Amino acid sequence: MDVLDQLGAIREGKLTRRAFNRSLLAAGIAVTAVPLGARRVLASADQATYLTWGGYDIPELFQPYIAKHGTPPNFSIFGGSEEGLTKMRGGFIVDVAHPCNQSMPRWVQTGLFQPIDPSRLSNWPDVMPELVDLEGNDAGDGNVWMAPVDWGQTSVTYRTDLFELEGEESWDMLWDARYGGRLGSLASGGDAWWCGAIKAGVDFADIATEDAFERIAAVMREQRPLIRLYTDDTTTLEQALAAGEMVAAMTWNSSAVQLQSEGVPVRFAQPKEGALTWVCGVMIHRDAPYPDLAYDIVDSLLSVETGQFMLNDYGYGHSNMRAFDAFDEETLTGLGLSKNPAEILMAGHFQVPQTQEWETRMNELFEQIKAGF
Amino acid sequence: MPEALDRMTRFSPTHPPPGEMPRIKTGRIATLLHRNETLRGYLLMSPTLAIMTIGIIIPFIILLVLSFWTRQGFEFDTTLTLTNYRRVASEPIFGALLARSLWISGVATITTVALCYPMAYFVAFHVRRNKMMWLILITLPFWTSYLLRVFAWKVILGYEGVINSALISLGWIEAPLEFLLYSREAVIITLAHAWAAFAILPLYVSLEKIDKSLLEAATDLGDGPVARFFRVTLPLSMPGVIAACFLIFIPTTGDYITPALLGGPDGMMIGNFIQVQFGPVNNWPMGATLSIVLMLWICAIALVFLFVTRKAQERIA
Repeated sequence: MDVLDQLGAIREGKLTRRAFNRSLLAAGIAVTAVPLGARRVLASADQATYLTWGGYDIPELFQPYIAKHGTPPNFSIFGGSEEGLTKMRGGFIVDVAHPCNQSMPRWVQTGLFQPIDPSRLSNWPDVMPELVDLEGNDAGDGNVWMAPVDWGQTSVTYRTDLFELEGEESWDMLWDARYGGRLGSLASGGDAWWCGAIKAGVDFADIATEDAFERIAAVMREQRPLIRLYTDDTTTLEQALAAGEMVAAMTWNSSAVQLQSEGVPVRFAQPKEGALTWVCGVMIHRDAPYPDLAYDIVDSLLSVETGQFMLNDYGYGHSNMRAFDAFDEETLTGLGLSKNPAEILMAGHFQVPQTQEWETRMNELFEQIKAGF
Repeated sequence: MPEALDRMTRFSPTHPPPGEMPRIKTGRIATLLHRNETLRGYLLMSPTLAIMTIGIIIPFIILLVLSFWTRQGFEFDTTLTLTNYRRVASEPIFGALLARSLWISGVATITTVALCYPMAYFVAFHVRRNKMMWLILITLPFWTSYLLRVFAWKVILGYEGVINSALISLGWIEAPLEFLLYSREAVIITLAHAWAAFAILPLYVSLEKIDKSLLEAATDLGDGPVARFFRVTLPLSMPGVIAACFLIFIPTTGDYITPALLGGPDGMMIGNFIQVQFGPVNNWPMGATLSIVLMLWICAIALVFLFVTRKAQERIA
């Protein structure tokens, strides 16, 4: 008896009580059985959770973890590290989270994280020491708060065929009125505001001054009418660049590398004012439900396999020295990377940790500017 | 009280009225329930009441209290002040976003109702057989997730989307129309489609209920089809129109996901700004205040709307 027959039978009053009960039973069994089948596909409950930036939620970064546990960890995504922190402060408990050097000291201050014991990480000896030695990263007793994983740049990715370059590559490209409505930007102040500081010529040492706020706000307001979309979704920016909907956008290394691998004529600019540089890493939550698995996540992210994928497919720098061995100098230069991270990080503008008050004020102001005020 | 006690003792099963044998033994609660109709009513409602209390009333009180607090770093200053409300009243950004949201959702509401009315009319008056099937078919697109429908519109309106590719292949335009996506228009189009089901059903129900003999009477008395529609059908279907307007206007004003995905910088609505307060800006009290202000505005507009339509109906009648 198919559904239409059933409906017809109901209308004509022909459906017997027995037949009706039988349909109810069938529907009941079906409803109960559906989630049973799907359970294997869903993220399993007894897995650690990794709170990270969009784009890092892929199994390729967890080969050693998958080899050991069969599945990748559960992923949860944030658009900006401040949003991630707010989620956790609101009571969201994860095992491992992924901040960057600029926000790490503030994350530590919240008391939501536990120090990482490097002796429990098999890949620790290969980790580049200059990436570990960051402001505020020392947790005492040889422990660290954040295990560095990836480092890279925030710069302008532009279409070489659509964007007519005037002179050198520069941050002015994202302020170019000729391409008004065809420029894109990351929505998170954690990137955009700092790039605004570079454009406004503000030294990062002075970024907390009143004068800096005014100057950066002025350039951001100037840029706002030119921007087609502010988003934290890198895929959206990449698609828009690939379609020619945008001719230039503020992105991380990965967008340019991925677009190039798809044959889209783009370049990751090396602006004459210098790019924004950063180091990101992982921290373990104080109340991590699966501390052992959390260490496995960290170790897996530090592995050579992950590093090679990051370098090759995403174009990010990695913290594992041995990951670089598979690449020759020429390839690395092509990716804008080097075996000596300090060289790259210091050539650009390296993000400096700020106070919570600064962060809140900056986000508030930037959100208002994005809304058009 | 003594009277009540007296009554209780007189009628309670342990003290049967004189001359009557004790009947079935029932518990005190059962007796009370049997006697007290109000209590029975509340008991019947209790699951709903419990959910309402836990899911709506308590969170609303929390929201209300939070809106009178202020932010202090990551903590809340719990002294009750009107600071947030003053800020909403004085800083232009809040008013502008609120006005934009009300405008977008107002236009979306009018569009939706105007587009759905003919559909509901058709099913109510011109479909004779399988009405249920027609309704199911009309609402079929709404069985998919809201998010999926929003993404579908992104594909349709996009730079290389269905509309732009079609227009280009027809040779009508040279370059893709950029205003289609990341604009207020995109938000309105998507909202008008996404909420259509909520307009069709109440409109259909109110049109279906109209007594056909009234239409015949109007024709007999010399009304043409147009006059008949405006003098009989439309006024009688007003309850459906009002219900549809409310069902669409109220939720869309605070909509978050459509402007977030399709609005672009100029299509941002108050819902997005409330989210920002709870997210990166980290000013929960301000977010709570904005939510309350939004609710008050919707209430006020709904009341005015109700008043106007009622007046209009009275005039027609």
